[in-house]
Amino acid sequence: MDEHVHAWLEAYHDGELHGRRLQQVESHLASCKECRSELEALQNLSALLQESPSPAHLMPPDRFVAQVGLRLPRRQEEANRRGSLNISWRAIPFGLFGMWAFIQALFIVIDLILLGLTFGLGDLLSQGALISLNRNELLLWSIGLNIGLSMVIGLLYLSWLVSWWVGRQHTQNET
Amino acid sequence: MLSPTATIEETELDLITQAQQGDRQAFGELVRHHREGVVTVVYRLCGDANMAEDAAQEAFIRAWQHLPGYQPRSPFRNWLYRIATNVALDVLRGEKQTVDVDALPLAASGPSPEAAVENMERAEYVRQTVLALPPASRAVLVLREYEELSYQEIADTLDIPIGTVMSRLSYARKLMLEALASHVEV
Ligand SMILES: [Zn+2]
Repeated sequence: MDEHVHAWLEAYHDGELHGRRLQQVESHLASCKECRSELEALQNLSALLQESPSPAHLMPPDRFVAQVGLRLPRRQEEANRRGSLNISWRAIPFGLFGMWAFIQALFIVIDLILLGLTFGLGDLLSQGALISLNRNELLLWSIGLNIGLSMVIGLLYLSWLVSWWVGRQHTQNET
Repeated sequence: MLSPTATIEETELDLITQAQQGDRQAFGELVRHHREGVVTVVYRLCGDANMAEDAAQEAFIRAWQHLPGYQPRSPFRNWLYRIATNVALDVLRGEKQTVDVDALPLAASGPSPEAAVENMERAEYVRQTVLALPPASRAVLVLREYEELSYQEIADTLDIPIGTVMSRLSYARKLMLEALASHVEV
């Protein structure tokens, strides 16, 4: 008699054997009582497991579907909202930098105009309103305003940095 | 109304596509189709009907969140079972072992006068024995014996090698056969 097929019985029982191996196991089973009874034990176990009760007293299908539906949109929207909030929060430094760059460009233009006025261009505009103002005073004003606005933007960026750092510490503590 | 399998699958694919685009009603239909299967899988794994329904709902919510990434290459049912099994295993990890092996019912050992009662007790004993298995082996046994997934499908569902599927299944059956020796021996 050929070798026992213990090692292949489960795969055979589960329908996972094919081709030559399947034939080999089948022909062995036909002649070996020991392997046959082992296979029967597996079959009995499967039958016994099927007797085990399904869950009783389940909620009606409609209620189940409704409950899932209720839990769905809320979480989804929450995640979306959190996502978009996150994006705009992260965009703040870029916005501040953009603001600062815009102010710098504006003051460069203003200073150039004032410089032009100082070097004679002003004669062409002698009838204009600017002529009545002291040009040096104007230049000082523009520099002062520039420094002031840059400081405000710097402060805003610093406070963003602080709250970002605090937020990070917070999430690190949570995880 | 009876429709051929092909049509059912087509309809399901349509529903999946719609749900992937955010159609909640289509997803509701998918939930309705698969509710019983998913609840049963979770119930077999955790042994508590209330917990099973709650975990099944959680599984459907996770499914909704991951639906855009679902590829119809693998059957939707298996994909759902994969999520449900993982939710159930998470729940079990959180709860720790709910079943005490020493407290397994003794009912089946004493012969009962009424066959019906005995059958019920035996079924309950079988259920408790399944629940007493280590969760990793229990998951493989449940997917094979109750959901009739192939070794490859189980491997995909649990994200483990096929060899591990076979060894865990073998281990689970060995323990089951030992525990149920009096009912199974021939
Ligand atoms: Zn043999």
